[in-house]
Amino acid sequence: MDRHNVNTKGYEYCSGCGICLLVCPLWRKTRSMPHTRKARARALQGGATIEDIAASIDACLLCGSCEPVCPEGIGIAAMNMEQRRKLNKLRTNYPSWYPEPSGMKTRIKDNVLHNSIILIAGEYPEEDIEVRSAVIELLGGNKKVSLAVDDGRDIAGLLEACLSVTQDRIDDFTRPLRHASTLIVSEGLLHDPLRKWLPGKKVMGTGEALLSSTYIRKALGPEDLYIIECRGYHSDYERLVKFYDRLRKETGCQTNLDLQRIAIPTGASSLQAKKDIEAAGCLEQARWIIKGRSMKRIVVEDIADREVFQRVADVPVIHVGQLSQG
Amino acid sequence: MHIPVFERGIIPPDPVAPDSLKGIPRQKTNPSRWQGDNWQDFVQDLRSRGVTVCESRADCSVFMTDAGGVAYGLSHGVVRPNSAEDISKVLKAAQTHRVPVTTRGGGLTTEGESVAFGGLLLDMSSMNRVLEINTDAMTVRTQAGIFWHQLAEILRRDKLDYLSAPLNLTASVGGTLGVGGIDVNSPRLGCSADQAVALQVVTPTGNIVNCSEQENPELMERVLFGYGQFGVITEATLKIRKFTPITIQYYYYSSLRTAIEDLQFIAREDASDYSGILTILDRAITLLVAFDSDDREREFNARWKHNLRGHGEAGFGLRMAWHYLLHPWRIREAAYIIGRRFKLFPEFWRSEFMHNGKIVDRTVVFSRAVWKFWGGPQMVIPDLSSKAEKFAEAVERGNAVCRKYFRHYTLYCVGIKLRGKLPRYEMSCIPPDASDIAYGCEFEPMLRGTNYSRDYLQSFKNEIYDIGVDMGLSYYRFGGMMKGYIRRAMGNELVDKHLAMKKAADPAMILNAEVIF
Repeated sequence: MDRHNVNTKGYEYCSGCGICLLVCPLWRKTRSMPHTRKARARALQGGATIEDIAASIDACLLCGSCEPVCPEGIGIAAMNMEQRRKLNKLRTNYPSWYPEPSGMKTRIKDNVLHNSIILIAGEYPEEDIEVRSAVIELLGGNKKVSLAVDDGRDIAGLLEACLSVTQDRIDDFTRPLRHASTLIVSEGLLHDPLRKWLPGKKVMGTGEALLSSTYIRKALGPEDLYIIECRGYHSDYERLVKFYDRLRKETGCQTNLDLQRIAIPTGASSLQAKKDIEAAGCLEQARWIIKGRSMKRIVVEDIADREVFQRVADVPVIHVGQLSQG
Repeated sequence: MHIPVFERGIIPPDPVAPDSLKGIPRQKTNPSRWQGDNWQDFVQDLRSRGVTVCESRADCSVFMTDAGGVAYGLSHGVVRPNSAEDISKVLKAAQTHRVPVTTRGGGLTTEGESVAFGGLLLDMSSMNRVLEINTDAMTVRTQAGIFWHQLAEILRRDKLDYLSAPLNLTASVGGTLGVGGIDVNSPRLGCSADQAVALQVVTPTGNIVNCSEQENPELMERVLFGYGQFGVITEATLKIRKFTPITIQYYYYSSLRTAIEDLQFIAREDASDYSGILTILDRAITLLVAFDSDDREREFNARWKHNLRGHGEAGFGLRMAWHYLLHPWRIREAAYIIGRRFKLFPEFWRSEFMHNGKIVDRTVVFSRAVWKFWGGPQMVIPDLSSKAEKFAEAVERGNAVCRKYFRHYTLYCVGIKLRGKLPRYEMSCIPPDASDIAYGCEFEPMLRGTNYSRDYLQSFKNEIYDIGVDMGLSYYRFGGMMKGYIRRAMGNELVDKHLAMKKAADPAMILNAEVIF
């Protein structure tokens, strides 16, 4: 399914089935209907204004879980962002987790990268730089893979806050990438925009890129709980649900997919979590993911999930890039 | 035309005469909005007892309609209870101040039964915690606002499952127990309500009472299938079982009656674990038969399969091709059936929901398909339920009404195993003359992309309901027909008996009174 052609419907098409609610981390956290996507749509249908539902709009983690399950094919992810954008125009006080204005400046001007594969590694903590190096090695080393110096994390932050990103900044970010055929992007929130900005490029997450290798897949087994990065997964759901289903069948590993085959998010990469991982509900979500499961190891795609699971699980937590060492 | 206004709790003579002409549009009138007398005193009373009442437009409009999308109403305020005690406070205050209270779970009614036309709306979805899983007794105790899918997610971590629930992920446990709850395994396991072992109920006067078949059995019998009249279910203890993926076989028919006879044969002989009929118009009729275990499927194949008169897909396709070759003027109908088949069936075979040829998470698969292919902003689903002997005729008559009103529609038929003559079945979707297995049929027009008026849709529903009155049947979706039909369908004696019970239990007639009374 080409989601870009299908998901053009807005909140007025919501039939109120509530299936989006079942996958919403905010619903799990608050158990409060008004905080859900369904409630926002219904409230707007009933004449409420954007300001009336501001708390709910701000609380959304933009995990994208709700979009693939919507039977009406509503473009929920885009709609959430559009509503946050409208809200930004109407207010002067931004949530505390919004990016600082300094983050909106043009960052690094990069040279054109000539490898056909470019890794946009995102935010690896200082102590995890070797994990990033391991990822590059597993993908074929520096001769095959270029590491983008500009990882676009400020753009991801602005996109999440739905603040405007200048065309110059987008050009600066995408210019070095133009010769690549494949972009391996850790930050799932950048997947869809990159598909739009650089049509024809193959955009995939770090997990998918690494697990395409039989050698790495063989390192996974039934006693592993594999945590899929949710934003990238949900942005290309129809394709990736099959990819991870094959992975599960082939390796026997457990995953953070729920019964609807939606990736249960921790929200660890969200701006809210960067401000306060506990208040963003990440730990509670992680506890739910591991509840009742028997595993000897947790493997995460998103480096931000590592800390979350280390805090709630009593088994080793590694990044997918460390699989070959496991 | 003068429409008289009656006081709450008084059922006037039917506004529609028994011998009125069929097919004449009759409005199902949702109640006029409660005007808010004593509302502020009521809210102040609740706030002084620590109950939060949300009154903003955004809070109230979330619940302005239900899954039917036909009835619209706004409450004066919403309470999201955290406990039975919260609900007790609400109902005690509501009795004092005579404020109507509407309970809402998943909001999957289709006739406004879970829409508040003024007054207070109790959003039960906030009470969604699983309290205890007992693997010795094989029961789960849960707050009743939980959606069945949330319950399934939790049970599945222990490789467990509920027994039967509506094929709808966001139906709530409490709402379902209040109306029955039918699954494709109901021919074998009965209604969801019949899986309840014990309940905690807040009565309309605010008492918190535990009930089961041993403890306060009268209340248990009134609350199950009670349409929310006799209390708010706050906790339920339900039977559970080990989770199993299922295998499905499909048989295709071009005759409704033959398919129904085969459905009844399967249910009567207990030949499968799941069975039901789903149609595309009345031309492509699919009988679904499914099994929890290979042994059951093997037994079916050996003992019962040869009795079925349905075809495999290839054989049925050839027969259809021949039929439409002889009826070329119906080519658009053929195109619709083929298109529908090619869109719908792959949804049932998505690889991520299959394992070794079996469907895992059948409810997810079916519910997704239901919303994708049958759902929409408006849904009109009148139905009939009947004893076995009358069922085929009821479906055929209902089908003729569908043909008359709509180009595209679906029929969904399923059996419901009964647990004898229980008081809970009285004045419910279970037809009074049914024994052992009752049968229900939903008549669902495809409304997506259409623009029918409410009058048109109501005329369609009335014609279906008229069949029920004429044949002495019952109805699953009571809310749609109660006001105009209750006395004709159920008889004065029974209605007056239940009205008296309601008045005794709910003196101010504040709890969900508009659903039936």
